Order: sequence, then C-alpha cells, then structure tokens
Amino acid sequence: MIIFLVRRLVSLAPTLLGITLVAFSILNLLPEDPGATWRGAAPSAETVQRLRTELGADRPTLARYGLWLGALLRGDLGRSLRDGRQVTSILAEALPWSLLLNLGAICLIYGFAIPFGLYSALVPGSRADRIGAVLLLVLYALPSFAAALLLQETFAVRLGLLPLQGVSRGPDGATPVDLLRHLVLPTVCLALSGWAFVARYARASFRSAMGQEFLRVARSKGLSRWRAARHLTASAAVPLVTLVTVILPGLVGGSVIVEQAFSWPGLGRLYLAALEGRDYPVVLALTLLSAVAVLLGQLVTDLFYMVVDPRLRQRLLAGSSGA
Amino acid sequence: MPDSSAPGARGPGAAAALLLALMLFGALAPLIANDRPILATVSGRAVWPALADLPIVGAWFETDLVRQVAWDPPGPGVRVLLRPPVPYSYRGVDLDEVLRPPGRRHLLGTDSLGRDLLARVIHGTRPSLLIGLGATALALLVGGLVGACAGLRGGLLDVVLMRLADIVACFPPLVLALAFITASGRGGVTVIMAAIALGRWTGTARFVRAEILRHAGSDLWAAARAAGGSLPRVALRHLAPLMLPSVAVIAAFGVAHAIVLESSLSFVGLGVAPPDPSWGLILAEARPAMDAAWWPVLFPTLALLLVLGALCLVAERAAGRSGARASTPL
Repeated sequence: MIIFLVRRLVSLAPTLLGITLVAFSILNLLPEDPGATWRGAAPSAETVQRLRTELGADRPTLARYGLWLGALLRGDLGRSLRDGRQVTSILAEALPWSLLLNLGAICLIYGFAIPFGLYSALVPGSRADRIGAVLLLVLYALPSFAAALLLQETFAVRLGLLPLQGVSRGPDGATPVDLLRHLVLPTVCLALSGWAFVARYARASFRSAMGQEFLRVARSKGLSRWRAARHLTASAAVPLVTLVTVILPGLVGGSVIVEQAFSWPGLGRLYLAALEGRDYPVVLALTLLSAVAVLLGQLVTDLFYMVVDPRLRQRLLAGSSGA
Repeated sequence: MPDSSAPGARGPGAAAALLLALMLFGALAPLIANDRPILATVSGRAVWPALADLPIVGAWFETDLVRQVAWDPPGPGVRVLLRPPVPYSYRGVDLDEVLRPPGRRHLLGTDSLGRDLLARVIHGTRPSLLIGLGATALALLVGGLVGACAGLRGGLLDVVLMRLADIVACFPPLVLALAFITASGRGGVTVIMAAIALGRWTGTARFVRAEILRHAGSDLWAAARAAGGSLPRVALRHLAPLMLPSVAVIAAFGVAHAIVLESSLSFVGLGVAPPDPSWGLILAEARPAMDAAWWPVLFPTLALLLVLGALCLVAERAAGRSGARASTPL
C-alpha cells in the first residue's frame, strides 16, 4: 500500500511539471506587459521599469519560467498586481468557499444519483423510470449558467424562498442557517449536470448488474427485489466512485460560472476578476490550481478504489513486488 | 466505449443529419427573422434585401438600392411583396417596446432594449453552431493528428504526446478557454474556436491512438502493408473508414460540449461580442432585468436545451446501448 502510494506520487511528478509548463506558456501569450497593468493612473516610466525588473518581465521567457517555478517550490506564488497582496493569502481566503461548494455538489451528486439509479434499475420500463430518463437527459443538457438563472428566477425572484446570491444577508446575518440557505441554489446548480451524468451511468450499470448470475439465483430462490438490491449496491456502486475523476474538470470549471452567477466569493469568481483585471500572477496560480485539483482528485479516487477493492489491491501489490 | 467494429448503425447518419439541419437553420436565419423584406420592388425593380444578410452569398444581393432604401416603414416607391415570418431584426432596438411580455406583436416578448427575443434566439443559432462546429472540427483534426502520430510512430514520440494529452486533460476546458482568450487579447470567432479546441482534443487523440494500436496487428493491416501501402496511407485509407462511425459520435458530443463552452464564455462576457446574439449572451443580458421579466431567461434556455438535448440523444443512440461511458458531463 505504502509502496503503491510512493510509486504513484513519484509518477505524478512529471505530470505536475507538465501542468506548470502548460499553464505558464498559455499565460505567456499575454500581449501586454504585465508591468504596465498595475492599478493607478499612468505610472512613471521609472516605476514601470522597477516593476518590470521586480516581476522579471525584462528577462527571457525561459528564465522567467525558471524563476517562477523556483518560487513555486518554495510556496511563493508572487504578489497580486492589483493590490500587491500575496497571492497565497488571496487564494487562502477564497479556497474554503469553493471547497464548500464543490464538496457539497459531490455529496449531492452521489446522494441522489445512486438511489435514483438503483430505483430505476429495479423497476425498469416503469413510468417513473421513463420520466426519470427524460428528466436526466434534460438536466444533462442544461448548461450551468442557464440552470443558475432558472433557479434564481424561480426560487429567489418569483417564489422568494431562497436568497438570490451572495453568502449571507449581511454582517449580522452570518448564522449557519443563513449560510445553508445561501448554499442551496449554487450547490444544486453546480451538481445538476454531474448528477444527471452519474445517475445515467448508475442506471445503466445497476441494470447490467441485475442480470448477473448470482442475483438471478438469489431472486429465483425467493429473495425480494429490494433485498437483492443490497447485494447489488456493493458490486455496482463502487465503480461509480471512479466517475469523480470524470466529473471533476466539469465541477472545477463549472464553479467559475456558478460562482459568478451567484456572486459566491470563491476561486471561480476570483479567476474571472483576475482575468478581467489582467492580474497575471493570480490568473497563473488559479489556472495551475484547477489542474492540480483535478490531478489530486484522480489520486484520491485511485487510493479509494484500492482500499475498497481487495482484488485490485492484491494485483497492484503483486505487480509492485514483482517489478 | 462505443463499439467501433459494428458500423452500419443508423445513429451516425442521424447525428450528421441533425447537425446539417441546424447549420442550415443558422445560415438561413436572416430569411426567417429580419426587418428587411425577402422580396420587394423599388420603383418597379425587384430586390432581395433579406438575402443580403445571408453569410457568404450575401454580398451578391447587397446592391446600392438595397442599402439606400428604408424598409421599415417602407420608403417612397417601395412595395414590399414578401416579409420573413418574424419581421424583426436581432439588433433592431425599439425603446418603446422594452421588456414586453410574449404577445401577438412579439411572440416571445422583447428584451431590455426592446429587441425582439424570437429574432435574437433564432439568430443566436448561428454563432453557437459556427463556433461549436468549428471548434469541434479543430479539436478532431488536432486530436486525430496527435493520436495518429503517437500510434503509428510509437516510441518516445508516443510517450511524449500521450503524456501531453494527459496533462492537458487535467485542465478544466473552461478554465483553459478563459485563460487563452484573455491571454491572446480577446476577440474574434477564430480565437474562441481555438480556445475551446485547446481543451478538447485529448479525448480524440486517445481514441485514435487506441484504435490504431488495436488494428495494427490485424490481418487487414498486414494485407494492406504487404500490398505496399505506406503507414499514413494504410491509416488513412483503411483505418479511417473503420473509425468513422465512432468519430461521428465523438463529434456530436463534441459539438454539444463546444456549444456549452461557447455560451458559457459569452455568459461571462468573454465570448461573442454584442450586438451579435449568442444564447449565452442573451441570458447574460437577461440577468439584470430578471426580477422584471422571466421570458428573456426562459426562451434562450429552451433553445439551448432543445439543441443540446437533441445532439446528446442522437449521439447516444449512435453510441449504442453498450452500457459504457460514451460521454462526459457537459
């Protein structure tokens, strides 16, 4: 297990390096000089020169990459061009909000997708199953920003049930209940597409699992459908967890849209603001972080899979000791 | 994974037909919703003003006469013979008709500048489809080339290219597209296409590489090679046709993804530039007036749903009910 973990981490290193390279080279297409975007009216030529030196903009690209990478390894992401604050502290402020939103969405996705898939696999062809299938297709095809507007229009504007946007009513309203109320719409919105995806997958995989020999035997010996479902869940639900790696890029990217639509003070909204203000160090850090988040998600899923599936664990261990 | 060894399913054909129909609809939008008539006479001479707004062939109908005459209301000496079914332009601002609810004059109502929403939704098809198809074509081309190079060459090139694909696949496509558009100084349909394709070629590359490796040992392959076919030739003439049905499925899903990305970019203000309508942009413009009007929110959403739902449905049928994953969340 430890051996596997170490090997896995080592194999991640080149990918991580590649991620930094890709992020850096895309952002270096920037036609403008990062030194000239410092906020304030017409900086003097001297200031611009000083900033250029400070930011390393007067050096060749490769040297800049080296400098940036070196700083990155020391945990230094540079300073924001907007207000001169450390990028790390800006990110640290926004990160909890995004984590809350994304973890909430993942819980929501699985909390609803697996029971849904199980139910529709147990009663295939029923009216509920068919209506569910259409509903899933609709939700699957609904882009998150459109879903956000529909949810806001319905639940906040017309019905007035939930707050329209933001994280709290005001400085005095920052209670847990108030936070939860603000969390509902963005989380649901972020979860919709992934939920539809996982549920459709769950439906198919539960249904094919229903045809397995051991279940047919169990059913023919008089086990009820619902009891049989218990045996089914373990074998068919575990692979569904690996789908996290598939939905993760969509979730992280979708946060940008959802956070913007709901004025949620997370990393996604920070990203858009940084793009608009050409806040180069913040944009670079966030681009990097999005890919690293996806990579970490893959790693965690791998480990989870190893923990729950003894067969895989044995195979991997045999493989690693043989190598 | 869709079973590519079983071609002949009707699915890919249906996907192609749907895409073609949507393209045609987008291209003909100026004839469906336009404040200029399709056919009119100006002092006895027949002109085709609406046709002048068509893509590509439009310039041919854009005569001096068409440009100078007022159409709405008709100027002196003008006789309108045939108007489009929706007699409004997508950019015809009318401040007396701001935020009118759906009714007889405006079937889907008007937006906060008094523009006819139906006309805007119809014209919104064009940028969405154009960018969706363009970006997907680009992604398929790049992905196909990378996958083919990796699969045919093997060795170090294979390792490097596939590692690159793995790395790029870590980035959420939307994040990549946003960064690319901002970094390249924004603007232009081609930039948006490239930005979307940037994050979407990796799947195709993996698929093409896997297919090549799968077939590389087959009798078909050996026979074609023995007959003297060069590697690229064998791949193109004998393998590509085998992959075509699966590629159609990938393309249909790809177009759906690209449309979602395009409209998301437009929604946050980094996509299609106003006054051109994109469904994402119409929705972004509907946001400030949300508490006064629901129709600018609902109808573009329905248009998106209709097109994306149809694309996904057709693509899934084509992919077959193999029970395996044929797509990723949009």
